[in-house]
Amino acid sequence: MGRLFCFLLALLLQGGGVTWAAELPVLRVLAWPGYADADLVRVFEQRHKVRVEVTLVSTDEALREKLARRNGGDYDVVAANTAEISRFVDLGLLQALDLAGIPRTRAQARAFRDLTAIPGLTRGGRVYAVPYTYAEMGLIYDRTRVREPPGSTADLWDPAFQGRVVLYDGSGHNFTLAAIRLGLPDPFHLSDADFLRATQALVDLRRNALGFYSLPEEATELFRRDGGVLLFANYGAQQVKLLRAAGADIGYVLPREGALAWLDCWAVTRGARDKALAQAWIDYMLEAPVSAALTERQGLANTLDAPQGGEGQKRLWLEPVEDPERRAALWRRIVSGDTPEKLRKKP
Amino acid sequence: MHFGLRFKFGVFLAAFGILASGLTGYYFYSASRTLLVRVAESDLSTASQVLGRGFSTTLDEVARDVRFLAALPEAVQALASKPGGEGEAGQRLAESFAAMLAVHPEYFQLRLIAADQHGLERVRLDRDGRGVTRVTGADLQEKGHYPYVFRTLRQGPGEIHVSRIAINHEAGAHAGQERPTLRLATPVSSQGGRNLGLVVVNVDLEGVFRLLQADLPSSYQLYLANEWGDFLIHPDAGLAFGFDRGRRYLLPDSFPQAGRLFEDRGRHTVVTSTEPDQGEGKGLVAAFHRLPFGETADGRFVVLGLSQSLDRVLGETRALAIRTIQFVVLFSLLAVLLSWLVSRLTTRPLNMIVEAVKGFSREHAVGELPLSRKDEFGLLAHTFNDMQIEIKAHLAQLDENRRQLDHLARHDPLTGLANRMQMFETLEHEMAAMRRAGRRLALFFIDLDRFKEINDSLGHAVGDEVLRVSARRLKGLVREVDTVARLGGDEFMLLLSGLDEVKHLSAIADKVIHALEQPIPAGELSLSVSASLGVALYPGDATTAADLVQKADLAMYQAKAAGRHAWRFHSSPGEGPAPGG
Repeated sequence: MGRLFCFLLALLLQGGGVTWAAELPVLRVLAWPGYADADLVRVFEQRHKVRVEVTLVSTDEALREKLARRNGGDYDVVAANTAEISRFVDLGLLQALDLAGIPRTRAQARAFRDLTAIPGLTRGGRVYAVPYTYAEMGLIYDRTRVREPPGSTADLWDPAFQGRVVLYDGSGHNFTLAAIRLGLPDPFHLSDADFLRATQALVDLRRNALGFYSLPEEATELFRRDGGVLLFANYGAQQVKLLRAAGADIGYVLPREGALAWLDCWAVTRGARDKALAQAWIDYMLEAPVSAALTERQGLANTLDAPQGGEGQKRLWLEPVEDPERRAALWRRIVSGDTPEKLRKKP
Repeated sequence: MHFGLRFKFGVFLAAFGILASGLTGYYFYSASRTLLVRVAESDLSTASQVLGRGFSTTLDEVARDVRFLAALPEAVQALASKPGGEGEAGQRLAESFAAMLAVHPEYFQLRLIAADQHGLERVRLDRDGRGVTRVTGADLQEKGHYPYVFRTLRQGPGEIHVSRIAINHEAGAHAGQERPTLRLATPVSSQGGRNLGLVVVNVDLEGVFRLLQADLPSSYQLYLANEWGDFLIHPDAGLAFGFDRGRRYLLPDSFPQAGRLFEDRGRHTVVTSTEPDQGEGKGLVAAFHRLPFGETADGRFVVLGLSQSLDRVLGETRALAIRTIQFVVLFSLLAVLLSWLVSRLTTRPLNMIVEAVKGFSREHAVGELPLSRKDEFGLLAHTFNDMQIEIKAHLAQLDENRRQLDHLARHDPLTGLANRMQMFETLEHEMAAMRRAGRRLALFFIDLDRFKEINDSLGHAVGDEVLRVSARRLKGLVREVDTVARLGGDEFMLLLSGLDEVKHLSAIADKVIHALEQPIPAGELSLSVSASLGVALYPGDATTAADLVQKADLAMYQAKAAGRHAWRFHSSPGEGPAPGG
C-alpha cells in the first residue's frame, strides 16, 4: 500500500517534471563525480533559466567512449585531464574556446593562466580547454625515521631505504618516474633504448621496494604496518590526508625534478548546441564559491588559489605516453618478478 | 430512484461482508508473506553460518597442508643450495607439491620461495590447462615485494599468513593467472629458527566456494566481500573485484542493512530483505555473516552472504494469493446472498405490518399481522392489533352518538314524534314516491283547541302531559308506515301515504277527532281536549310540500273558524261535520 502511494506520487511528479522540462533549453555536462554537485547545478539552472543534464563517468575509458559516440554530439561541455584533452583535440571532438566568454579565467592562479605552458590545451594558437582542478604526485616520508626530507625522485632508488619504499602499481607513471630518474628529456616519450634503460631502472626500483599498492588504503597499510618509510603518492594530497588520519607523522614533498601531476580541464565539444551557454558553465565553475566547494568537498585543489609548494614548483602535467600498451606489458612482467635476464629476452 | 430500507440494509450488509472477507484475506496474505520471508531469512542465516564454518574448515585444512610441506626437510635443503642447484631435494619437494596439487584441484600453485635473492622462487609447480607444470630456471621470478612473501617471512615457525583475496595478476602464473586467488603461506625455518624462505599455496577462491556451495540449494546466490566491503564474489560477476578495474562496488551500497557488519564489530550476522525497487534492483532476501579471516590479531574479516530472490521465496504466496482472492470472492458472494436473505427476513414482517396499517386506514379492516412472532416484530404487531381494536370500538361509539344526535335533530324530545324538519323531509320524499307510483297521500294538520288556556291555567307540566297523551293516541291510530309529527306548540301532523282512494279519509278524520277528545287524566283532574283538523291531498291540493302544508293549515283554520272540534278538507271530499254536529 505504501508502495503504491509512492508509485503514484512518483508518476505524478515525473509527469510534472516532464512538462516542466520540455520548455527549457538543456545543457549537457559530462563530468566526474564531485565536479557538478546537484546544489551547484541548481544555482546555474536558476540563473540561466536552463536545465542541466549531468552525466558522470569514473574512468577515462568511459569518458572516451561517451564522448566519441556521435562525434561529441551527445554533450555540450566536458571535463577531462590534459592527456585526454590532447587526444580529443586530435580526434576533432572539441572546439576552440573564446576566452572573452569565460572572464573568470583572469582570476586563476598564474600557473593556470599561461595555457601554452600546459601541454595539450592549445593547438595552433587556439585554446581548447581551461584548467579546473589538479593533483600532484609527491613523496610522503615518515618523519620519525627519515632525518633529511627526500627532495628527489631518485630517493626512491636510495639503497638506504631498501625494502621500505612503497610504490604505485601503475605502468604509465612508473616508466615516467624511471625516465625522470634517468634524466631523460621527455619522460612521456621513450625511445627503444630508453625502454631498455628504464626497464633495468624499474627492476632496481622493485628490488628496493617494500611493495606496490593500487588503492590508497593498501598504501596506508604498507606504510603503517609493514614498515614503509618513503611513499610515492599517486593519489596526492588525498593520501596525505588518509595517512595523517591513520596517525602517521609524515611529511610531503614535491621532487625538484618536477612532480607528476594531472590537471582536469573543461572543454566545449564540437557538437555543442549553445557555445555561449557551455562557456557560461565553465565560467560558473571558476566562481570562487564553486571552486572552493571542490576543495572543501573533494579535497581537490582548485585553480584559483596559488598551488601548494609555490608558483615556482615544477609540475609535469600528464601527457599521452608514446605506447601505453608496451609500458603496461613490460610493467606487468617487471612487477611479477621477472629477472633482468628474462626481461632482456623477448617475451 | 428511491432506495428502500431493504435495499440499503442489503447493500450495507453485503459491503460489510465483502470488506470483512477482503481485509481478512489481505491480512492473511501479508502475514504469510512476512512469515515466508522470515523463514527464508532464518534459513539463509543458518546456511551462511554453515558456509562460513565450511570456509574456515577449508582454510584450516589448507594451512595444515602448507605446514606439512614447509616442515619437509627437503624444503630447508633446497633453500640452503644455490639457485638452480636444488638437485635431489628440489626434485623430492617438487614431487610432494605435485602430489598435493593432484589431491586438491582447488590449488593453483605451490611454491618454495627464498628469503634472500629478492624473494626468488626456488621450487615452483603451477597448474595449467593440462595438469601440473614445474617452472624452472629463468622462468622463476623474484617475489620479495609481494606482501605474502615479506609478511610471511616476519612470522614465527608454523604460523600461517593468509593473504588478501585478490585477482592474481602475476605474469606466467598459468591456470591461476587473472583468477581470484587466496594465498596461504608459512615460513621455512632453519634449526636456529631463522626464516630461510616460505612455502606458499595459491588457492582458487571460486573452486573452494564451488565445493562449499554444492550442498546448498541451487537458488541460493553467494556473496563474499572483504573487510572494506568490496565484492569478491557476486552473482553478477561484473561487480566482483571492481576495485581491480578502478571501480568499487561495495556491499553496504547494495545492502544498506549489512553495512552494520562493517561498523559494529559486535554483530556477526545480519538478515535483510530488499524490495524490488531498492538496493540490488530486484527483490532479495539475504543473510550476511562476518567471518574472522587471516591473522586474528589484525581483526581482519570477510563477509559471506547468501541470497534468494524474493520472487522465489514468495513463489508459494503467489498460489496463496490466488487462493485468497478466490476465498475473498466466494465469501463476498456469500455475503451478498446472506445479506439479501437477512434483509428479506427482517423487512418481510415490517412490510406485513405496513400493509396492515394501509388496509386499516383505508377500510378499517384488520389485515394479517405477524402475531405469532416472539421478537420485536411480534410485539409491534400485537401493539398495533390492540390499537386497531380500540380504534374500532371508539369508532362504533362515535357512530352511535352521531345516530342519536341525528335522531334528536329530527324528533321532538317531548313526544318522541318527528319534528318539523323530519316531517318536511318525509313529506317531500313521499310526494316524490307517490308521483312516481301514481298514488295519493293525505296530510292532516291537527291543532288542539284551547290548549293555551290549559297551559296557562294548569301549568306546563299538565300541558306537556296533554301533548304526550295526544301524541300517543295519534301514533296508535295510524299504520306503521304513516308519519306522525309535532310541528311545535299544540300543532300535529299526520301523513298518510300510499292511498288508492280518499273515501276513507273522512272516517279517519272522525277517528282522529274522537281519539283526541277522550278525557286525559291529569292528577286528580280529567281533562277533555278537542282538536281541529285540516286535510290537504296530493296530488290535487298542492305541488310542493310547503304548499301542501299551507293548504292543510288553511283547512284546519276553516275548521277552527267553523267552531272548532271539527275537520275540513281543503278541497273535496268536503267538510267534515263538527263532532256531535
